[in-house]
Parts: sequence; C-alpha cells; structure tokens
Amino acid sequence: MSNRMMWTTFAALAAIGIAGPALAQKSVTIVREIDTDRYDPHKSTSRSGAEVMYMIGDTLVNLDFDMKTLKPGLAKSWTVSPDGLSYTFKLRDDVKFCSGKKMTAKDVVATYERWLDPETKGLVKWRMGDVDKITAPDDVTVEYKLKKPFSELLYQMTQYFHTILNVEQAKQLGADFGIKAIDGTGPYCLESWTPRDQTVLTKHKGYSWGPGIYDYTEAQVDRVVWKVVPEENTRVTALQAGQADASQYVPYWSIKELTANKQLHVSKAENFFWTYFIGFKVDKELVNDVRVRRAINLAVDQKAITEAVTFGLADPASTMLSPAVLDFNPKLDRSIYGENIKEAEKLLDEAGWKKGPDGFRYKDGKKLAPLVYGISGAFKEIAEAVQGELRKVGIDLQIQLFDSTVAWGKLATQEFDAFGMSFPYVSAGDALNLYFRSANTPTPNRMNWKDKETDELLDKGSQALDDATRAGAYAAVQQKVHDAAVWIPLYHEPLFLVTGAKLKPAKAHGNYGCALYKGLGLAFK
Amino acid sequence: MARHIAQRLMISLPVLLGVLMIGFLLLQVVPTDPATVVAGPSATKAEVEAIRQQMGLDRPLWVQFAGYLGRVLQLNLGRSMISNRPVVDEIALTFWPTVELMLACLIWAVPLGISLGTLAARRRGTTIDRAIMALSVMGVSVPVFWVGLILIQYVGGAGLLPFQGRNGPIWTADGLISIILPAVTLGAVFVGPVARMTRTSLLETLGADYVRTARAKGASDWRVTIRHALRNAMIPVVTLVGLQIGFLLGGSIVTETMFAWPGVGRMAVGAITSNDFPLAQGAILILAVGFMVVNLIVDVLYAYLDPRIARS
Repeated sequence: MSNRMMWTTFAALAAIGIAGPALAQKSVTIVREIDTDRYDPHKSTSRSGAEVMYMIGDTLVNLDFDMKTLKPGLAKSWTVSPDGLSYTFKLRDDVKFCSGKKMTAKDVVATYERWLDPETKGLVKWRMGDVDKITAPDDVTVEYKLKKPFSELLYQMTQYFHTILNVEQAKQLGADFGIKAIDGTGPYCLESWTPRDQTVLTKHKGYSWGPGIYDYTEAQVDRVVWKVVPEENTRVTALQAGQADASQYVPYWSIKELTANKQLHVSKAENFFWTYFIGFKVDKELVNDVRVRRAINLAVDQKAITEAVTFGLADPASTMLSPAVLDFNPKLDRSIYGENIKEAEKLLDEAGWKKGPDGFRYKDGKKLAPLVYGISGAFKEIAEAVQGELRKVGIDLQIQLFDSTVAWGKLATQEFDAFGMSFPYVSAGDALNLYFRSANTPTPNRMNWKDKETDELLDKGSQALDDATRAGAYAAVQQKVHDAAVWIPLYHEPLFLVTGAKLKPAKAHGNYGCALYKGLGLAFK
Repeated sequence: MARHIAQRLMISLPVLLGVLMIGFLLLQVVPTDPATVVAGPSATKAEVEAIRQQMGLDRPLWVQFAGYLGRVLQLNLGRSMISNRPVVDEIALTFWPTVELMLACLIWAVPLGISLGTLAARRRGTTIDRAIMALSVMGVSVPVFWVGLILIQYVGGAGLLPFQGRNGPIWTADGLISIILPAVTLGAVFVGPVARMTRTSLLETLGADYVRTARAKGASDWRVTIRHALRNAMIPVVTLVGLQIGFLLGGSIVTETMFAWPGVGRMAVGAITSNDFPLAQGAILILAVGFMVVNLIVDVLYAYLDPRIARS
C-alpha cells in the first residue's frame, strides 16, 4: 500500500470514527417486537401503529400519567353543553403540520369526516360517539355535536384514533396514505417506513405544543428509529450493550436483570390497563350454570398462575377490571375469584356434576370438559396452568389454540365453551361497552352475554351527564357480570419501559399500551 | 457450454411452473379468506362478497391460476394487502439484504470448509485430522439459533459488533460491520459439512491413477493436491454447497429473525402471519426461483469442473 493510499484510508476511517458517535448522539433507537400494518389511525388498531402515531400526530385532548386527568392538546380548552350533546373546542393557533401547513379547525372537521365516511372503511367508529355534526365556525373553534350524550368522549379523544390529519394529503395519496407518508402535527415527523424493518422519525422543527405532562413540550432528540427486532433475547442484549436506547418489549424473565443494571432505568407504568382473562359462552350447555362458572373461578389460583407466567410481576386479578381504572367498582366481592377448592367442589356437586371413577365430573352421561379457544403464543402457558388447576376439581379443560392468522375467525364462531384473551382499556366504560353490549355478539361479546338491564345500564353510563351517574351505572354493570362470573380474570399485565445509559430515565405511560406516548420523555443525559 | 446452459434452463421451466402451482395452491388451502382480510373487521357480508368478486376469488380455481400465471409472466405480482406496495417493490427491498447475507456467509465459510477439508485429507489420521472432523461434526450438530444467541450475547453484548439489523448496504462501513455477526452465524453451520465432504472426496481422488502419475513425475505433495486432485474432488462439494444454499434460503429465516435482518425470509414469515397472500406468494416464488438459479449455477460449475458433463 502506498503512503498516500494508507493516509487516505486512515483519514476515511478516522472520519467514520469521529462522525459516528456524533451522529449516534442525536439519534435514539427504540426496539420493538412487531411492526404495524399501516400508519393510518382510521384503518389500524395495532399498538405498533399507535406508538408512532402518538409521536407524529396530536389529538385534541391528552391524557396524564394517571390515565384519568385530561390535559389540553391541540384544543386549548373545551366546554360541554348541559345536555351533553355539544362539545366546543378552542384550538391552539400556533400549530403546524410537518409539511408546514397551518392546522386549523377545518382540518379537525375534515379528519372526523374522513373517519365517518363509509368510503374510508374506518374502524372503531363508536369511539367518536353518535355524531350528529362537526363544524368549524372559525379557524380555532370546533363544534362537535352528538345525537345522544357520550360520557366517554373526551377520554376516547385521547386515543390515537382521534389523531388530527392533513386530509388533503390523505386524499392525494389515496390507498398509499399512512404507508408512503403521513403528515401530522406531533413532536416528530415520519421520515421513512420500511415495513418489518424500521420506522424513522425526525424532530418536528417548531413544535412546542406538547402536553404539560413532561419536562419538555418539544422533542429533545433529532431522530427516533423504531426498529423491529422480533427476538426477545436480541432486544434485551441490545439494551444492555447500548445498541438500543429504549424498549417496552422486554420479557418478564429479564426485568430483574435489567433493573439491577445501573446503566439502565426501568419504569413501570403506574396506571396501565391490560387484562388477561378467560371468558365463558354463558349459553353453552357446559358452562350455562353460574355455579359451574363460579366453581371454575374458585378452582383457579390466580396468584400461582401469575407467579408462574409473569414471575410475579403482574397483578393477580380478583376483578375483571384493574382497580386503578376510572369508574372501577370497589364494592365488588373479590372472594368469588381466588382459590377455594372446597367451595368449588361444593358448587359443582350442587350443580349436579358428580365425580366419576376417572376423577372427572359427569352429569347425565356428559363429561365436564369445556373447550377453550385461544391464540397460540403467550396464552398457551396460561391455558395449561388453568387446565392443571381445574383438574383438581374434576374439570377436564380442553385447549385448542390457533395461529393468529386464523384465530380471530375461529373466535367469532359458536364452537367453543370458553376463550382466552387479553385487552387494553382506558376506563371501565371503555371495557364494558366493548365486551358486554348485546349488540356486540358474537364478537367482541363472545360470551353471548345478552342482558337488557346491562344494555340499559351501559346506555345510562355512556350517556351520563355527570361523573357520579356514569360511575354508578358502570359500577352496576360490573356488579352484574362479576356476580355472574362471566370471566375468569387472570392477571392485570404490567408495562415496563427500559431506557438506556445515554438517556435520562423516562417514565412509562399507559395510554393504549404505548409507554413512550408522545415521545417527549426522550432526552439525552 | 451455452447449449448445456440452455438445456438446463429448459428443464427448469416445468419446475418453475410446478413451484408456481404449489405456491398458489398452498395459499388456497389456508383456512383464511383473503376477501375477509381485505374487507377488514367492520365489513358487511355484502361488502366481503363484492371484494371476493373484485378479486376474482369466486371464479374456478384453474381460472384463478391462469390469471395468476399471466400476471407473473408480466412481472405483476400484485400489491401487498398490508402495505399496498407492489409486491415486486417489497421483494426488491428484501431481496438484496438476503443475497448480501448469503454471499457474506459463503465468502468465508466455503473457502474455510474446503481448506479445512483439504488439510484434514492431507493429514489423514493425525490429531489435526481428528480435530478438524470433531469441529465439523460440532458445526453440523449445533443449531443456527444457538450460534446466533452465543454471538449476540458475548460478541454483540460486549459492544464489539452490532447485531440488530442491517445498517446499510454491504459496501458502506456501517453495512459491512452489521453483516459480520449474521454472516458468521449462518456460515458456522456451513463450514462443517463442506469440510467433511471435501475431505472424503479428496481422499478418494488422491488414490486415483492420475494423481500417482503426477507424483511419479516429481510434483510436490501440495501441488498434486491443489492442482490435480482438488479440482476433480470438487464436484460433490459443489453439489453439497448448492444444496446447502437451498437450505440457507430457508435457514436464513432464523438468522434474519434473530438479527432483525430485513430479508426475504422474514418477509415471508411476516406475510404468512399477517395473511398477506400476494406477498406470501411473491416470497415463495422468489425463494423458489433463487433455489433454481443456484441449481443452474451448480450445473454450470459441474460442466466447468468436468467438461465431459457438458459434452454428454
């Protein structure tokens, strides 16, 4: 190698060496398990989509870390008419999309019109309430009128489905919107998305309207790379080795080790509502007797299952909803959930299910062997643990798990007696309206819980004009389904956010299971 | 040689047709309805039916296959049902990372395997031979994910090399560094079989008459081995490498998943698990075509190594 060539090579390597850390210093790498299907808040319900949408977009209303306190977002303030039918939002006047276009009330109206438009084939429209008309009397005022009151509306508005979009861009891009590009008003802008690989965001210059729940109202990092790393070991090692800066997708087994690592910071979301449960089809022959459902509940040791599956990191569930959630009913009798084998045996005997010579229970020649459907993966371990517990009282639980490609179709059928599932919720009303409305059978009300009184109470709760009425109605629903033992609540999942050595410790948020929420907690030390 | 290649290409056509048919039929037997997936969870039965008609799924199977074949011939593989991007673009995104990974694996694993096999054959019965064979048995026995885990934990974890994804094309410094661990992982299970096959084949060749003649002419042992015996010993090795590349195409799915490498394998798994039928078909097609191209290269190499094959 000539001297000249040697020096050139040396200079190039030195340049890489110098430029590398400088560039890395401004960029944050977040690792996650799976990618989204698209970045369109009206067409996707995935958590992976929500994680990025919260960062690149804004909603009119934001949610504090307690998951109860509403904070101004794009709306500076709002008023609700006494009849609960009309919401008036006063918008900020200084908001711009990443494209530089000024955000006005017209964009808010256009966003909701797009969601409502049947052509959009928008999902979960119930989250808007029963919309009558949404108008923009001026650039900073939005009139949101409902046909009937929807007490959940402001909480629903904190969900990413309500992200305000540049609808002109959506029209231009058509089916490519949310795939090739999406223009939002969030603290970051979408630079690129390579499906199944990574999503790159850049700092939204001029952004200063972040919610006051963080130390900063603007992004502190120039670039955020959301990298898809499917293998959990790789994610954990990446955090430990400093090759990743943040992740909430860390396995339970690693939490102790990560917490002990002084270089890392592990934050547990104080309020995160994601519950694992097994639901019964209450009209199926094997489980239509409330005594059988109660007995099954009493035979299951939630504590042991939680210990085995989550290393004791989750909270064993003695109620269907997390006790910390808005409108939780604290008066529920928790003793009907939790292990009590003697009582379970007594209830099964009373219900006519007698033990046969093989140790299993029979009635009229039929074996008590309920069939449970679920999605393969995390539920396998849970289902097997429950199966083991039920054998103690003579119930031969049959487990059938499906790959996620076919599971959702199977879970919409009437083929099974029970099903395993987990779900996120923002409030008691959010969960109850979704799962227990008669109109929502066969899915997501897979229990076939059709009860007029429940529907009336849900209507009363969702149309309530004051907090006390709403809480009272939802408490009554919780009481009904709790007493009827419609589910076996298993555990309330925790959410951990791990931040790496070069970042300041970030606090985990629980909104839609997106620990980084607006991404404004990301800051270098 | 050109005629030989043309013949092999002609033979490949029915194979390709078979692959297309199997790929098409495999996705027909999956118990998920593509129309339901496209329509989304909130669609009515009528909407699903309309989409089914629009997608041609209500037509007889052979008509659907003929349509699919026609589109493939025009290089129109449809659009991904998830990302709405043309499948060809999606494949283009993932194809080169996979090719890079395979080349990066082959570039060190094949020469090393041949060198170790040659050394073992030349030192037959010695400690070196036994050590190399023990290592190659270990290489064959150890699963690829285990090698990957160890490398991630001890090399990546020590901060020596990156291990989570492709940081750029291979010709860039970042790209080159990021491919090292996945390529070492994938290649680690490749060296053993190549070394064993080289040793066996070379030992057989070294006993041949023409080798004895070369020795009688006074050629040195290494010259006889490298110049005369090795080339003729290569045919089974090339066959093995060709077959192994086929397995690499499948095996790379594990490596790609572990190292978050954005290749065809990961795309195929992602497409299948997300019910993205056109993309899954495209991925199957590209993997099959890749396998056929490798077979063709192996055939051409046979003819190069032993011209009698082309002449026959």
